Amino acid sequence: MTGLRFDPSLPWPVVAVIAALALLAAAWALWRGLPGWSLRGLAGLAAAAALAAPVLERGVRHGLSDIVILLDDRSASQSLPGRDAQTDAAMDQITGQLAALAGVELRRVTVADDPDGTLIGTALTRALAAEPEARVAGIVAVTDGQAHDAAMVPANAPAPVHVLLTGQPTDWDRRLVIDEAPAFGLIDTPAVIRLRIEDQGAVPPEMVGRPATLRVRVEGEDEQVIALPPGIPLDLPVSITHAGQNVVSIRLDPPEAGAPQLTEQNDAAAVQIEGVRDRLRVLLVSGEPHAGERTWRNLLKSDANVDLIHFTILRPPDKMDGVPVDEVALIAFPTQELFEQRINDFDLIIFDRYRVRGILPRDYFDNIRRYVQEGGALLVSAGPEMASVESLNLSPIGDILPARPTGRVVQEAFTPQLTADGHRHPVTSGLPGAPAEQGGEPGWGRWLQRQDIIPDPDAQVVMTAEGDAPLLVLDREGEGRVALLASDQVWLWGRGFEGGGPQLELLRRIAHWSMKEPELEEEALLAQTGRDLSVTVTRRTMQDEAGPVTVTAPDGSTAELPLEPQEPGRFTGHWQAPAPGLYTLQHGDLTRLMALGPAAPREFEQTVASGEALAPLAEATGGAVLHLSDGVPDVRTARPGRSAHGWGVGGEWIAITPREAAQVSGLSRRPLLPDWAWLALIAGLALAGWLLEGGRIRSWKR
Amino acid sequence: MIRLGLLLLALLMPPPVAAQEGPDPRLAAAARQVALAYVLTGDAEVDETSRQGLDGLSLGLTMRTTVEPGAPVGIDLDRDDVSMLTFLYWPVTAAQPAPSPSAYVRLNHFLRSGGMILFDTRDGDIAGAGTPGGRADLQRLAAPLDIPPLEPVPEDHVLTRSFYLLQDFPGRWRGNPLWAEAATSTEGLPVAGFRRLNDGVSPVLIGANDWAEAWAIDDRGLPTHQVGSGLDGEHQRELALRFGINLVMYVLTGNYKSDQVHVPALLDRLGRDRGYPGLGEWP
Repeated sequence: MTGLRFDPSLPWPVVAVIAALALLAAAWALWRGLPGWSLRGLAGLAAAAALAAPVLERGVRHGLSDIVILLDDRSASQSLPGRDAQTDAAMDQITGQLAALAGVELRRVTVADDPDGTLIGTALTRALAAEPEARVAGIVAVTDGQAHDAAMVPANAPAPVHVLLTGQPTDWDRRLVIDEAPAFGLIDTPAVIRLRIEDQGAVPPEMVGRPATLRVRVEGEDEQVIALPPGIPLDLPVSITHAGQNVVSIRLDPPEAGAPQLTEQNDAAAVQIEGVRDRLRVLLVSGEPHAGERTWRNLLKSDANVDLIHFTILRPPDKMDGVPVDEVALIAFPTQELFEQRINDFDLIIFDRYRVRGILPRDYFDNIRRYVQEGGALLVSAGPEMASVESLNLSPIGDILPARPTGRVVQEAFTPQLTADGHRHPVTSGLPGAPAEQGGEPGWGRWLQRQDIIPDPDAQVVMTAEGDAPLLVLDREGEGRVALLASDQVWLWGRGFEGGGPQLELLRRIAHWSMKEPELEEEALLAQTGRDLSVTVTRRTMQDEAGPVTVTAPDGSTAELPLEPQEPGRFTGHWQAPAPGLYTLQHGDLTRLMALGPAAPREFEQTVASGEALAPLAEATGGAVLHLSDGVPDVRTARPGRSAHGWGVGGEWIAITPREAAQVSGLSRRPLLPDWAWLALIAGLALAGWLLEGGRIRSWKR
Repeated sequence: MIRLGLLLLALLMPPPVAAQEGPDPRLAAAARQVALAYVLTGDAEVDETSRQGLDGLSLGLTMRTTVEPGAPVGIDLDRDDVSMLTFLYWPVTAAQPAPSPSAYVRLNHFLRSGGMILFDTRDGDIAGAGTPGGRADLQRLAAPLDIPPLEPVPEDHVLTRSFYLLQDFPGRWRGNPLWAEAATSTEGLPVAGFRRLNDGVSPVLIGANDWAEAWAIDDRGLPTHQVGSGLDGEHQRELALRFGINLVMYVLTGNYKSDQVHVPALLDRLGRDRGYPGLGEWP
């Protein structure tokens, strides 16, 4: 860092002219034969040199330490048994050896868990970007090599990259792989989950090809056990039983023989399938055209998801008008088709002011009763015929109707009211215009007529006329549901009489409740999961109280979550899950599986240590991929470009390459000669030339 | 002066809210029994004919169909609450004063929420002669209503097959078009949204065939007006009654009959979806 610079005070051409004049004068003196010609020329040249002002420039340098990046993988997969201690030991030993080397600075980078897995490549890139390239002397990564961002691993590095892999050569693992799982499934049709079992690492000979035991549990159903050999894909049909979230939990039994596998964390998976209904098939049977019939049609026809099959008895069998058949647009009611052959295809059967007129034989009513008991839905909207001898209650389905008529038709105007049950029941709670609490006056118009009924003791009365007379009764019958509305006046709400009321919403909820829409279940345990593993648990119930919910964590530990009342029949609680996994919520006899976070943590997809992701980088930089199970290598220094690993007396060694980087911290400039020395030199030379020519001193030639 | 003050006071007082008093028993009975209703025009003869006409239609319905309406009710549009009604027959007369603005508000709500009005200009005998006749009065009375674009009832309209098969809709007169909401008004934004709101049922029907006179019967059940002449006339009266029955069926069941065209296909689909082997049961 020392150099000669010129700092001329006159422009360079002037200096050159002076130098040329000096040389010309010397040449003329030589031609004249003067003996001091050389001294004269030198004096002129010295004058030119003095004008060019040569200076000495000198830099101030400091040597810099070498940086070694020590990457420490502490992701969840590194917590497998033994690996933690192995990592600690290796880190300690290498840190100690590096500290003993002079001029080495350590940069420790710890890679923790990320939702996307272990991001070693990103960590490496960042660490390298943070350090001056010229000082990086080596990179040592202690990891299981499972980088989930292989694309982010840099292609090259300024110094050798050494990868020290944790784990044992005997490590092996059997895991469950979900290749394909549908997010949605149609109810009552099987959804197919494609899965397989994968063996990794050094599979013990007794386990090679040996089938694993797979336990599959769909929410609320019994466990299925399947034996599946590794490597063979299985299409697992799962029946979707209800709308909303269906959680399928799949679990492998631990291997029966051989060395234990690395982890069981990748042996289970929870698949969530959103159950959606196929088109709803609704059979609407109107006993006679009446003002409220179009209300049902408006409701059912406005829903694009409903296939409505509607029949109205336009002419009873006992009325004849003598009009020729070809002038009448009536068709026969395909009763056999509807009530015998295809009854089970319907999701809901609605009897709207239906009068038993002998059109349907008793057998068909028996079929309807069986249909309901086997899980169907029946909704009866009754008019005055309910109080007559043609009442549906006198047919075989009278057994399953949730109330029986007293025979009285009450022709008084009344405002429908919600009962205490009605305030809690999802069918009626929070209806637009409903009073906020029991006893409040609803802002609805009145109805003008109702049938007096006596509800069954086990049925739920959710709406009444004034004075506790039941109006809307809901009941369960076998597997199915029955709803009875003891008035045909709901259309007055739609017409806006006295302000009207929420007629479409009420009818929609009744219909969907009877079809077991999960949103309208009275007893429900709902869990809404947030992004950050937070859970809002909602318990809907017809009871006054709701005790705490028991939460069972994946490791079997349980916690109690108390619930706060929100509104009648609704209790909620907030809970923060400690870690992702499959949790079970339990409240009374309601259980709900809840999968938080990814179906199977990414960390545990690949557990057997492998240098595959980092080997290209190690190779490109002259580093090594070593197994810690063979011992922790020694650390040496090597010149850049020389091999950075090898075998020594004490075993394997890895090397860092000291970079001898330095920093220039200052710059000083000094004239080559002080001004007086120049003067003395020029004057001395000129004087010597003059003396020589004057003969005062003798030329050395002589 | 005191009387004037009292009158002013009475005018300023808010009208008694029906909810506190109980609905008009006449209208409440009509709501329970699906009674047919007619607009009182102030012309006693026309009002009586309307009553007799709807009486005749009600009798026809009771005799031939499952609909058994109660006694017809006359409606004073300025006073009565139409929200309890389903169907309103409105004979158009020249002398009839237009209802109050608040009555029109109620009527518009009635139309929007699924009610139906049949306007009858009753001038089918002379309408072809190019006279403005009832048309001007109709315009005067119906202009404040939210009436969608209309078109003559097409041949495939559900009115032609809601009970009987009909090609024409005669009353006392015949051969005049019956106007209903245009099917094309579903394209783009429906003017008042009736089709979407109410299953595509037209909120108004407008004709000139003087149906009430054709339906009208006296207390003994005998027709009060002559229709046409001889057997042809009686046949026309029968067709008028059939139209009335179709009309009430249309009012009450909406497009039910036009849906039935699709029922075999729907049932077919049920079978196919569930994997039934044979679909041949339905012709």
